[in-house]
Amino acid sequence: MADVTPTPAADVDAGAAAARAGAPWVAQLGARLLGPIQWVPAAARARVGAGAALAAALLFPAVVRNGGDIDAMANALAFAILALGLNIVVGFAGLLDLGYAAFFAIGAYTYGIVASGQVHPLWSPLWEPLRWLGLVGRFHIAGAPDTVQMHFSFWLMLPGAALVAAFFGILFGAPTLRLKGDYLAIVTLGFGEIVPIVVRNTPTLTNGAMGLNGVISPQIFGYRFGVNALPFYYLGVVMIALLIFISYRLKDSRIGRAWMAIREDEIAAGAMGVNRTRLKLLAFAVGAAFAGATGTYYVAKLQTATPEMFMFPVSVMILVMIVLGGTGNPAGVVVGALILQLLQSWFLQDVTQWTHALGRLVGSPWLQRVELVQSIELIFGIILVVMMLFRREGLIPATRTTAALSLAEQAAQPSRGGIGVTLSGIRKVELPVGTPLLETRGLTKRFGGITAVRDVDLVVQPHTIVGLIGPNGSGKTTFFNLVTGLDVPDGGRVFFMGRDITGRPAHEIVERGIARTFQTLRLFNNMTVLENVLVGMHARTRASAVGAVVRPPSVRAEEAAAREWALEVLRIFGNRLLPRVNHLASSLSYANRRRLEIARAVASRPQLLLLDEPTAGMNPAETMELADQIRSLKEMGLTVLLIEHKLGVVNDISDRVAVLDYGEKIAEGRAEEVQRNDDVIRAYLGRTSAARV
Amino acid sequence: MTFHDILLQQVINGLSLGAMYSLLALGFTMVYGIIELINFAHFNVFMVGSFIAMFVLEGIGLRGQARVLTGVPLVNALVLAFGITMLVSGLIGVAIERTALRPMRHVKGTAAMITTIGISYILFNVILLTVGAQAQNYPNPLPAGTWHLGGAVLRLREVLLWVVSLALMAALHVFVRRTKMGKAMRATAQDQEAARMMGVEVDQVVMLTFFIGSALAGAAGLIFGLYYNYTSFLIGYQAGLRAFTAAVLGGIGNIVGAMLGGLVIGLIESVGGQLLAVRWTDVIIFSILIAVLVFRPAGLLGLSTPQRS
Repeated sequence: MADVTPTPAADVDAGAAAARAGAPWVAQLGARLLGPIQWVPAAARARVGAGAALAAALLFPAVVRNGGDIDAMANALAFAILALGLNIVVGFAGLLDLGYAAFFAIGAYTYGIVASGQVHPLWSPLWEPLRWLGLVGRFHIAGAPDTVQMHFSFWLMLPGAALVAAFFGILFGAPTLRLKGDYLAIVTLGFGEIVPIVVRNTPTLTNGAMGLNGVISPQIFGYRFGVNALPFYYLGVVMIALLIFISYRLKDSRIGRAWMAIREDEIAAGAMGVNRTRLKLLAFAVGAAFAGATGTYYVAKLQTATPEMFMFPVSVMILVMIVLGGTGNPAGVVVGALILQLLQSWFLQDVTQWTHALGRLVGSPWLQRVELVQSIELIFGIILVVMMLFRREGLIPATRTTAALSLAEQAAQPSRGGIGVTLSGIRKVELPVGTPLLETRGLTKRFGGITAVRDVDLVVQPHTIVGLIGPNGSGKTTFFNLVTGLDVPDGGRVFFMGRDITGRPAHEIVERGIARTFQTLRLFNNMTVLENVLVGMHARTRASAVGAVVRPPSVRAEEAAAREWALEVLRIFGNRLLPRVNHLASSLSYANRRRLEIARAVASRPQLLLLDEPTAGMNPAETMELADQIRSLKEMGLTVLLIEHKLGVVNDISDRVAVLDYGEKIAEGRAEEVQRNDDVIRAYLGRTSAARV
Repeated sequence: MTFHDILLQQVINGLSLGAMYSLLALGFTMVYGIIELINFAHFNVFMVGSFIAMFVLEGIGLRGQARVLTGVPLVNALVLAFGITMLVSGLIGVAIERTALRPMRHVKGTAAMITTIGISYILFNVILLTVGAQAQNYPNPLPAGTWHLGGAVLRLREVLLWVVSLALMAALHVFVRRTKMGKAMRATAQDQEAARMMGVEVDQVVMLTFFIGSALAGAAGLIFGLYYNYTSFLIGYQAGLRAFTAAVLGGIGNIVGAMLGGLVIGLIESVGGQLLAVRWTDVIIFSILIAVLVFRPAGLLGLSTPQRS
C-alpha cells in the first residue's frame, strides 16, 4: 500500500521544492550531462575534483605568465576567502550579515597599524620583550626621545588579526544575535557603516581618509614578497585550500549541523539541544576570523589601506558571490567569487574596449563613453534579482540530489507489534521512591489578557504513558512549551527528576533528558533525514569547532557512534525511514515527517518524551502502528507525555489521562474514568450533551 | 551669530531634512507593516524620483536656479512636478513589486530583502549609465524670500517644503484612517490571511502600498533637489539609510512613528552635527539604529502590527 496519502501541507512543500529547483529543463539537462559522472562514487569524485582544482591552481602562473593576470587572480583569491567566511555566517548559520566588510577592515588595519610607520609611541622598557621577539625596533634620532618602530611579523599577524576580528565578531554579535533575520541584517549593516567611519575619523591611528602607507610585505626565509604578485598568489592558494578544508570539515560535523539547524528552524534547533546563542556567536566569530586573515593578506599585498576599501558595496559584493555560487556550499561560493572578480578585472575591460570601438564605428558618443567596469554593480544587481527569482540555491547547490528509491524500497508494510528491536541508548531511569519523573506545580502562562495555562498541577510517574487531552485551544501545546523551555511561565514551577527546571533554556532541558516533537512539524527541511536525527544528538555529543576541524580520534569515534545510534533510532520505524536516510526532510511524506520528528527526539536519549499529536495526518493503519511503537518505547524505559486528539489511541496506550480545558486541568485519572467525567463531556460536547448523558 | 541663533538655524535645517526623511520613512514603514519586508529598492526609488522631477522641471523650461516663479505659475509648476514625479515613482514601485517581489512573497527568510538590494543596485546603475556620474544642477523656481529670526534665517522655500510635506502626510493619514482602502490596508497589516478571508484583495493592497510609498519617495526626491539645488545618482544610500533609521526609531510599521522619527533624525543630523562634529553624524545615527533595534525593537511609539516570529 502507499506510504501515505499526500496532505495539502505536503503538496505545498513539494511545490516549494520544485520552485527551488528552478526550471525543470535545466535540471533535466544537467542530469543528462552529469549522468555518467554519477557512476563514480561521490567521495572519489570529490577527491578527484579537489585534486584537479589544486593542480590547476598551482599550474596557473606557469601557464598564464602575465604579471597583471596573476595579480588579478591573487586579489580574486582574497575575495574568495571572504566569500568562504561570509558563507559560514549566511550559508551555514543563516544569519544575513550586510556589514561583513567591517571585519575585513578590522583585519586589514590590525596588521596595517602594527606593520607600518603609522604609530610610533615613545620608547619605554615595556617594549623590550617585543623587541627581543623581533616585532618592534627602537628608533633613535639625535635630539629627540627614542620611539618604537613597529614591524610585526606577517606570519604572526595572519592568525593574530583573525583573532582580533573574531573578538570583534563576538563583540558585535553578542547583543544583536537574538534579533530576527531582517533586523539582524540591518544591525550588521549599521556596524558595517560605523567601522569605516571610525577608521576615517581616527587619523592618528589609521591616517584617516589618506590611508595607511608603507605596510610591510611578508618575508619568508629571507625572501621579501614586495610587490611581486606571484608569492601572494601561492599564499592565497594555500590559504584558500586550508579554509575550504576547514569549511567542509565544519559543515560535516556536529557544529555545522547545529548551524544548519538554526538556519532551518531556530526554535526547533533550541528544542533539540542546540545552544543557539553560543553557536551563532561561533559562526560570527569564525566568519569574522576568515575576514580578519584576508584583511591582513590584502593589506600586505597592496601595502596600503583606505576606508573606502571596506564600504557597503564590498559587503554586498561578497554577498553576491555566495548567492551566485551557491549559498552554503564552500566550493560553490569560491567559484562564484572567482567568476565575479575575474569578470571585473578581465572580461569587462575587454568588453568596454569593444563597446568603445563599436561606438566609434557607429558614431555613438554614448557608447564611446560607457565604462562597463564601473557598472559592475548593475551586473551584481541583475545577478541578485535573477538568482533570487529563478535559482535561489545558486549555480552549485549545497544540497545533493539523491537517487529515487526502487519500488521495493518504497513499499512499506504496515507492521503491528511495536518496534521489535531494542535501543541500546535508552536506559530505565532509577529515581528515589516517591519522586515523580516530571511534576508541575501551579504552572501558569498568560498571553496578554488570555490565560493559556492556569495553575496546572501534573505528575508524571516514570515508565508510564500519560495522555494530555482537551479541546483545541485548551493550552496543551503551551503546556509543552513551558515544560521544554520554549516559553517562560508566569507562575508555578516545573520539576524534573526532583530538580527545579523552571525557566531554564530549551537546550539545557534537552540535556537533562526531556525531548519533544512539534504538532506543526518543525523539521530541518533542507537537511537529510540522517542529519535531522544527528541534530537530535547534539546535546549528547561534545565535539568543539576545533575538534570538528582537526578530527582527533575521540571526535571520529564520537561521530561514528552518533551515526550508528542515529541509524538504530531510525530502525524503530522499520523500512519507513531507513531507505531515505540521505533524502531531504522536505521530500518526505507527511506521516514520515511525523516519524522523523519522533526519531529526532528519541535520538537525544531522553528520559521523558513529549509527543504533540504524533498521529495527526496518519491513516488508521499507520496510527495503530505508531501507537504500538510508542508503547514499545515505554517498555524500553522511556516515559511519554502525549497530546493526542484520537481518543482511541489515548485510551489504548495511556496509563493515565489528564484533561485541559481553557488552560485548567479539569480531570485526571485512568482513561475510562476520565471519559465518564461530566466536566470532560461538557468540555468536549457542550452543556446540553452532558445533560443528556 | 550667537550660539542660540546657530542652534535655531540648525533646528530650521533639521526640520527641513526631517520633513524629507519622514516622507521617505513612510515608504519603508508601510511596506514593512504590510509584508514585513525591508525594502532596499526604496533608497533608489527616491533617487530616481529626484531625477524624474528634474526632467519634468526642465521639460517645462526651468533650468538651473536662474528662473524664479511666483504666484499661480509657481503653484502650477509645483503641482505638475510633484504630480508627475509621484505618479511615475509610484508606478516604478508597483512594477518592482509586481515583477520581482510578488513571486517572493511566500518565500521564507531574507531572500526577498536580498532581491530588493539587487533592484536598488539596478536602479542606481541605470541612472549612472544614462545620466552619468556628475552631480546635476537642479532646476529651482522657488523665490528666495527670507525672514530673519534673530540671527537665524528662515527661507521661504523651507516653509514651502514643510507645507508640502505636511500636506502629503496629512493626506496619507486621512487615506489610511478614513477610506475603505485604508481600512483594508490596516487589516492586511494586522493579519494578511484573515483580511483575505474577509474579502480584502491582498494583492491590490500590497500594490497600492508600494504605489503610495514610492510616490512619497519620489516627492522626497523632488524636495531633496529643491533643498540642496543638486541631485546625483549617489543620494539614495545615505538619505535612505537615515530615513530607514527614522522608520525604526518611530516603530517600524507605525505611520505616525515614521513621521516623528523622520523629524528626530533630521534634528539629530543638523543639531547633532553642530554640537559634535559633522564627521561623527553617521556614527550617531547608526548607533541609534542599532540601539533601538537591540533594546527597543518596537521603536518609540511601538508596533502597530503584532510581531510574528
